[in-house]
Formats: sequence, C-alpha cells, structure tokens
Amino acid sequence: MDVLQYAWLIPVFPFIAFILIALMPKRTLGWEDGWGYGIAGAGGALALSFLVIWEVMNGNTLTEDAPRTTWLIIGGYEVTFGIWIDQLAALMLLVVSIVGTLVVVYSGGYMHAEGETRRRYYAEIMLFISVMYGLVIADNYLQMFIFWELVGLCSYLLIGFWYQKPSAASAAKRAFIVTRVGDIMFMAGIILLFKYVGNLDFAVLFDVNSGAAGAPTVPSDILILSTALIFGGAIGKSAQFPLHEWLPDAMEGPTTVSALIHAATMVKAGVYLTARTYPLLVQTPESLLFAAVIGGVTALIAATCALAANDIKRVLAYSTISQLGYMILGLGAGGYLVYHLQNPSGYTAATFHLMNHAFFKALLFLCAGSVIHAVGTNDMRLMGGLRKHMKITSTTMLIGALAIAGVPPLSGFWSKDEVLAAVYHAGDLDPIFLLLWVLGIATAFMTAFYMFRMWFMTFAGKARSDYHAHESPRIMTIPLIILAGLAITSGFALFAGDGFKAFMELPIEEHVLAGHESAMDVAVEIFTDPLTYVSLALAVVGILLAYRMYYMPGFDRSVFARGTAGTLQRALENRWYISKFYDDFACKVWYGFSLVCDAFDRRVIDGAVNGFSYLGASIGGIIRKAQSGNVQRYASLIILGIVILLAFLLFVVPWGGW
Amino acid sequence: MFENIPIISIIILLPLIGAIATFSLGRYEKYAKWVAFSFSLAALVLSLLVAVDFMVEPDGSATGYHEGNGFFDFQYYEEYSWIQSLGIRYIVGLDGIGLPMFLLTTLLTTLSIVFSWDTKQRPKEYFGLMLILEVGVLGVFSTLDYFVFYVFWEIVLIPMYFLIGVWGGPRKDYAAIKFFIYTHIASLAMLIAIMAMYFQAGVNSFGMEDIWRAGLSEFGRTFQIIAFAATFFGFGVKLPMVPFHTWLPDAHVEAPTAGSVLLAGLLLKMGGYGIIRVSMPTLPAGADAMQLVMAAIAIASILYGAMVCLAQRDLKKMVAYSSISHMGFVLLGYATFTQLGIVAGVFQMFAHGLVTAVLFMMCGVVQHHAGTRMIPSLGGLSKKMPNAATMMTIGFLASLGLPGLVSFAAEFMVFASVYQTWGLWLLLPMIAVAITAGYYLWALQRSMFGPMTDKIDTSHIHDIDWFEGVPVGTLIAVIAIFGVFPLVIFQYIDPAVRIVQVLFAGGG
Repeated sequence: MDVLQYAWLIPVFPFIAFILIALMPKRTLGWEDGWGYGIAGAGGALALSFLVIWEVMNGNTLTEDAPRTTWLIIGGYEVTFGIWIDQLAALMLLVVSIVGTLVVVYSGGYMHAEGETRRRYYAEIMLFISVMYGLVIADNYLQMFIFWELVGLCSYLLIGFWYQKPSAASAAKRAFIVTRVGDIMFMAGIILLFKYVGNLDFAVLFDVNSGAAGAPTVPSDILILSTALIFGGAIGKSAQFPLHEWLPDAMEGPTTVSALIHAATMVKAGVYLTARTYPLLVQTPESLLFAAVIGGVTALIAATCALAANDIKRVLAYSTISQLGYMILGLGAGGYLVYHLQNPSGYTAATFHLMNHAFFKALLFLCAGSVIHAVGTNDMRLMGGLRKHMKITSTTMLIGALAIAGVPPLSGFWSKDEVLAAVYHAGDLDPIFLLLWVLGIATAFMTAFYMFRMWFMTFAGKARSDYHAHESPRIMTIPLIILAGLAITSGFALFAGDGFKAFMELPIEEHVLAGHESAMDVAVEIFTDPLTYVSLALAVVGILLAYRMYYMPGFDRSVFARGTAGTLQRALENRWYISKFYDDFACKVWYGFSLVCDAFDRRVIDGAVNGFSYLGASIGGIIRKAQSGNVQRYASLIILGIVILLAFLLFVVPWGGW
Repeated sequence: MFENIPIISIIILLPLIGAIATFSLGRYEKYAKWVAFSFSLAALVLSLLVAVDFMVEPDGSATGYHEGNGFFDFQYYEEYSWIQSLGIRYIVGLDGIGLPMFLLTTLLTTLSIVFSWDTKQRPKEYFGLMLILEVGVLGVFSTLDYFVFYVFWEIVLIPMYFLIGVWGGPRKDYAAIKFFIYTHIASLAMLIAIMAMYFQAGVNSFGMEDIWRAGLSEFGRTFQIIAFAATFFGFGVKLPMVPFHTWLPDAHVEAPTAGSVLLAGLLLKMGGYGIIRVSMPTLPAGADAMQLVMAAIAIASILYGAMVCLAQRDLKKMVAYSSISHMGFVLLGYATFTQLGIVAGVFQMFAHGLVTAVLFMMCGVVQHHAGTRMIPSLGGLSKKMPNAATMMTIGFLASLGLPGLVSFAAEFMVFASVYQTWGLWLLLPMIAVAITAGYYLWALQRSMFGPMTDKIDTSHIHDIDWFEGVPVGTLIAVIAIFGVFPLVIFQYIDPAVRIVQVLFAGGG
C-alpha cells in the first residue's frame, strides 16, 4: 500500500474532530469539552503525517500521479484538486503535526479555566489544524489559496476568542483585513498565470519544458509581476514589512493560539508559499531582490521594536516577524544564488530555519503561556524572580532563548548561520546583499539581546509584584520538555544521513547543479568560515549586554528616557508609529472618504431622484389648477384649443410643406 | 420523469393556487402560514425533481427538448397560443441559466414563509402576496415570450409594493412608492425596447427565439445600440446599478424581513437574468458597443457600493448597499464577454441570492430580538445569542467571498475573466475585496463582539428562535455545500451559456 496516495486523509482527521466538537449536543460532548476529540484528531493526523514523512525520507514523493478530483469545469478550463507531497511539504507536515499536537495537549492545562467556551476553542483549533494541513499538501495555487484564506479565517476567530475584550475583537478584525491585502495580491498573481497557462497546477506551472517555469509560455514582464504579486501574499501572511503590524496585535488571542498559528505554522505559510514558488521565482531575479529587501528590512525593524516591548508576548511576536524576515531574506538571496550559480544553499538554509524556528518559537510561546498562566499578566515589568518557582519553565525557556540567539550547538545557531552565509555569498553577485547581510547580522545581535532581556526580566531578580507563582501542571510542562528537546536537536538534521541540504534541494533539483556537499563538508565549512565566529561573537555580546543591563544591579536605565535616546525609546515603544499611521489612515482618511460617499449618495444621487419626483409633483400641482370645475372656464378653454388647432392646420402645416 | 406533464406550468401554478387558497381562508386565517408553506414546499420539491431530471448537456432525448439552434436549448418546453393576431404565445421552458434561478426562487420563498412564522398582522394577505410574488418571479425565469415576460415582470411589482407598504417600517409609504415608480419607469424603457424589437423584427411574434432569429438580419447596428441601451436601463435599475440604485436601500430599510429577502434574493436577479437572456444575445452589436459602459458601471457599483457600506449605521442598510456591490460582479462578469466571466456572473447571481437571504434574515433576527438594528446601539450580543452570532458571522464571511462558501468561486472566476479582457485593470475591482472584509468585520465587531451594550435593554434578549434558525441554517448548509462543490451548479450554467459564440458570430 502506498501511504502517499492516502495523504489526503491527513486533514480529514482533525476535520472530523472539528465537526464532532462543533455539532455534538452540549450534554454528550464532555471529555473536557472537546479536548479528547482534539487529541484524537490531531494524533491521527500526526501518525499519518509521520508515515508520509517516512516515505518521503525514503525518497518517495507524490507530485504527478496523485489522486485528483474535479472542482470546476468552466469555459473550457478544468480546475482539479489533488495532493502534492515533496520534501518541502514533508518538512511543513513535520512542523504542523508536531507543534499542532503538542499545542492541543498543552491546551488541556492552559485552557482549563475557560469552562464551556473551550468547545468553541477546540472546534476552531481543529478547523485550523485541518486547513493548515490542506494548505501544505495542496497541489495547485487555487487550492492553496482556498486553504490560505481559511487559515486566515481561523486566525481571525482565534485572535478574537475573548471577543468581549474590545482590544481582542479589534485585533482580530485588523489581522484579517491586513492579511487580506496580501491575499488580494496573491490572488492577482495566480490570475495572471492562469491567463497564460490556463492551469494552476504546480505540475504544469513548474514544468521546465512547457510550464511557466520554462519561461516561453508567460511573457517575462508578466512573470515578474506575477511572482512579485504571489510574494505579496507572503508579505501579508508572514507579517512582512509594511504589513507586519497585525501580528503583535494578534497576541490578544490565547497564548496557545499565538504559539501554534502566529509563530509555528500559519505565519510560516508565507515562507512556504515563497519556497513553493521557487521554480518560478528563480526565473525572475527582480522579484527575488524585492523579496530579499523586504525580508532584510523586516528582520531589522521588528528586532528594534522587540527591544523596547514590555509585553512578553509582544517581544516574542516581534521576534517572530524578525525571524520570518530572515527566512524571506534567505529565500531571496538563495534565489539569486540559484539564478546565477545553480547553488541551492540559500533555499535549504531558509527552509531549515523555518523548521528550527517553528520548534523553538513554539517552545518560547508555550513557556510564556506557562508564565502568564502562573502570574496572570503579560507585563514583564510586573514579573521577576520566577526562576525559583518555575524550574521547568525557566529552564526550557532558557533553552529556547539560547536557540534563537544562535548559541551552538542549539538549532538556531546552525540555520541562522546558514542563512547569513547565503546572503553574504549573494553579495558577490549584487552588493546590495552585503548591505542586507549587515542588517541581518545587526538583527542577530539585537535578537540575542532582547531575548535575554526578556528572560532576565521574567525569571531573574526579585518579584516586582504580588503573585503566588507555581509551576504549571504536567500536561503543560511535558510539551515544553519535548519542544526543548527539539530545539536542542533539530539543528543536527544538517548532518543526519546525507545531510539536510541534500534532502531539501530535491524539490528544486531541476534548477540547481547536482553534486552536493556531504554532511562532513558542511560542518567543515561552518567551522572554518570566519563569518560564523562574527555572528557568534555578536550573539554572546548581546547576551552579556542584557546580563549587564537587566541582571546585574547598578545599571541606571533612566538614560533611555532622556534626550536622543529618549526619542528613540519612545519611537520604539510606539512601534515606529507604523501602527498609528495605519489607524489614522483607516479611521480618518478611509472612513472619512466613505462618509463623503454616503453623503453624496443621499444628497446628490438620491437628491436628484427626489428632486425629479418633486418636479413632477409640482407640475402636476400647477396643471391641477386647470381642473377647477368651472364649466364656463372649460368652454372657453375648448374654444381656445379649437382656435389654436385650426390656426395650426391652416397656417403652420401648409407653410411647413407637410 | 416528466414526459407529457407540463411540469413548469404546474410549478408556476402551484403558488397561484396556494395564494388563492390563502386569500380565501376567511376567519381561519391562522392557518394561512400552513397553506402557504405547503404550496411553496410543493413547488420547491417539484423544482428539485426537475433539477435532478434536467439533462446537463441536452440532446434529443431530454424531456420536452427544444433546440434553439444557437439561441438557447430548452427543456420542459411548453407552447400554447394565446393572442394569435399579435403573435403572443405562452411559452415556458428551462435551460441551464433559468434552472438555478428557478431553484433559488422556490427555495427562498419557502424559507421566507417559514421565517415569517410569527407574523400576526393580516397573515392571509401577507402569505398570499408572497406566493403571488413567487408566481411572478418563476414566470420571469421560465417564459420565452416577450409579452408574457413583461406581464410576469410587472406582476412582481404589485405584491412587493404591498409587502413594503403594509408591513413595512416607519417610512413605508415613501419607500413603497419610490420602489414602485422607480422600477416601473425602468420597466417602461424595457417595454419600449421590446416593442421596437417586435416591430423591427417584423415576424408577428413576441417569441424570444423568433425575434432573436429575425434580429440576426433585421437589427442594424444603430438600432441594436439604442435598443440595448433601453433594455440595459430597464434591467440595470433592477440589478441595481450605480447611479440608479437609490430605490434599493430605502425599500430594504422599510420592507419586512421576508420582503427584503425576496427583494434582494430574487428581484435583483431578474435584472441580471434579463441582461443575459434578452439584451446580450438578441442585441449583440449593441452589447459590443456598450461593453465599456457596462464595465465602468459594474466597477463603479462594486467600489462605490462597498465604500457606502462602510459608512452605514443601520445593519440592514449596510446589507442593502452590499447587494449593489455584489451584483456589480454579475455585470462585470457579463461585460468581459468571455465564457468564464459570463458563467461566473450567472453563478454569482445564484450565490448572492443565497447569501444575501442569510444576511437579511440575520438583520431581521437582530431587529426582532434586540429591538434595533442601529450598529452604534448594539454590541456584545454574542454573549446573549451565540447561535445567532455564529450564523451572522458565517453569513458575513460568505458574503465577503471566503473560499469554501459559495461566493468565492464566482468572484475568483470573474476576476480571472476581467484580467483576460482588460489586463491589469483587474486591480481596480479587487480593491473591493479588502473594503468588503473591512465593513463586514467592523460591523460584526461593533454589533456582536466587544462588551455588552448599555444603550438598549439587553435583559430580555434570547437566542435565535426555531423558525428563524431553521431557514438560516438551511441556507448556510446550502451555501457550504455549493461552496465546496460549485460544480453542481456550474454544470448547468456552463453548457447553457452560448452567448460568446453568438456575440462573436453576430456582433463585433
């Protein structure tokens, strides 16, 4: 039996759980209000995903003879849906299945106090997991877009889970609308391809002989525009500058949602889409450059915002944006390397970072959730000294912070280093990448600093407010321990078997030179490259700086409140005023314009209609006066009429020649 | 299944008999809803059987097959002479364009009757008028003779006038008269065009097919342009198109909920149906000359309608304006002159009918339970009426084109066809996708989410009643089913749209 043929069943498990939780009558649901069904659904999908991943690791993929079903036949076009399992999809399956299942387990503890509303929570989480799997295994752009929108829907619903809070309701709306701007670009991008290829299947589009990836089918300027627009979808979903501000606001949702959707899976969809589009992107260096610049700028801006955030989840949210920027930067630079040198190292590095980041960022979020669960606030200024009370949480969070800071041998070190190396090498092709590399390395420094600022503020020192912290129950700490284990070990995938690079370059093998480095070569390269030590040194300096400022006593932080530093501090705390700009634009400019439209509609357009009818009624009113009921007046009018008629017939008609 | 049975006529007559029965109930008027419901349900069941029996790609073996030779191929075709001297015949038949509209009509009427279950004010007249309305709309969607078409078209106005004028809100008189006069003037433009086509064709027949056939040689370009403009105005007001849309928000705000459902769900479709059945195939050169006008009006309707929605404070008025925006997609699809766009436009009519019915019903639920529809007075209702909030959310999401629900396929295909015809002008109507999400989610946030409002008395608010929940739930199920399997409907529409060949053959 070929497991891959049945990969379409993966999303079915959580979907059935969703239907059961959503529609089961209240009395019979039980089982901790849906948690059990969630575990079953997520677990079933996890098991099948692992079988599929195993098959892919054995070299089997399913990209052409997948089971397909017809969705639409219209105007001579046939739109079919099927599944597409390659190494990239397997990687995402791994991330979604592991993080998804662990988050559901963890929710059993974290959401315990929510009572009956848990039913809605688990239903929405199951729907999300299902459509996220659907997105990953989609075999054409339209199918991907459909699930793309549906994960956005689940994100909307779950950000607004506590909908009575005005900030949560507002953040949910904001997230949906802002990502929808990106979705419009995505949709436009695939519509462009649809006109020229008449099909949106990856198998057709990516065919180097006849599809769009082979260039002659689609005019080159259209291909550039369409890849740039498809990447626009990633800008929205993966929260890249300038559409990144929705993600910090999205932290209004439960922390489990932040960990699953807004750190590990959905926001990775943009990166996944960009990686998926690689066979087209590598034909269009212009779009790649665009992506790389967006990624680099995002990484830096988000990291600066994280420096000044006091909400533990917002620090992590900005950190997520920043790391996503890394991945996009890596893909952009990597595409350049493929385009010029057929070298896949940027692509493999970015996808590697995607996986590692999913594990350590989910870990960090779940740790933050554990902390919030214990102290009942998100504000780090009110925490402190938690290490003594929460040994497991503080240790696992330290592991996560070390991983993201890039301290060897944890996973972040390997992948971040690979990304930066690829960007640096792309600098040989276009000097702008050297500038982007500088942005990247500065970001690495800031990342180490703000992560340890967060850790010290939370766990070190003395308690700064009154709380009775306690370690979270085992149902929450076990997922933390598992994720911490992954954060330590997932980086070694670089050296497993033939090495991660050799595995991950297969989806784009038609575009790259065969004959890759062995795992040993990769290791040697990393340790002999001076760049490795530069970024490592910066990370260590960042950690030490945070140690000095937020752990050792005697540092006067009030310098940040004065002068230039104060202005900068306020700018950072206000997130560079980008959020305010959007608010003003939406609430004042756009809404004001809509009020003008509405007034125009009532006064001018409808005014004309009413004016017209008023005119008719007035004329009627005048004529009505003729109907006076006075017979003598009627008689004289009749005579007048006859005279006019006769005059007309006798003089005007002959004169006119009729 | 229906050999030798005049099934279409039976379906049209059923609600008429039902209406007469309802009107004549006398003092047993509390049974009016049962009588009306039975007859509308019978029509619904029969029309579903027709849909099952309908042959998607018809050939000679289809029931009552009538080949249109490039016009339209009809099934269940019936033809009876009526006024021979003028060439007026009663002809009915269905093709893949009429069938989805036919189904929509029987479904929405039945569900509207259920939704109105607690109507206390003059129930005989209320339910009877709804059935009369159904007769008119069914006739419009199935008749193939211009004269009879016009008769059915005008029949529709009368029950709707009374539904607004008697059971309406505070400004019902103004709204009812405005509705009647405005759309009646538009009908007159259509009537003049029909007369002009009748005389110009000179075949002493009001049959659509006869006039179409004669028109191939008899209709000159100038004639076509003028006649097209007249019919387009007649149908476009109904659609409605900017700037001839202002009757719609007033009518909706004042109409009772079921009236709004039928008005937006069915009456607007008559406009979109007329353009595809009458204007474009019969007057292709006129359509060709007016293509950019159609497109400009469509895009203006889409964007302007969406912008005005954003400013609305009345939930129902917002939904009314959203109809203008969404029906713009129908016109935009038509205006592309591509198979893709026209088929998607027809499907959008079907989708909009289902979705907008949910939206108006939910506005009615809010009005009924909270006592007001003004968004600033609402807030946090989700806590009191979670099921209603869920249904409203699904309705809004369907309307903003969420994939998996019915409108998405139509919107996507319309966009794809716009790009095929006008290139990157595509981006202009696409802006509406974001605005639409904006006004719906903002309205949802202010009415259902956030803290509980203190501007109204919320102590008596309870969740949705069964007679409201059942129709809305049914519609949501239908919306989801056709969202996941749009092919079920597209398979009827796609082969029936031949207009592209006609346009390229006869016009241009």
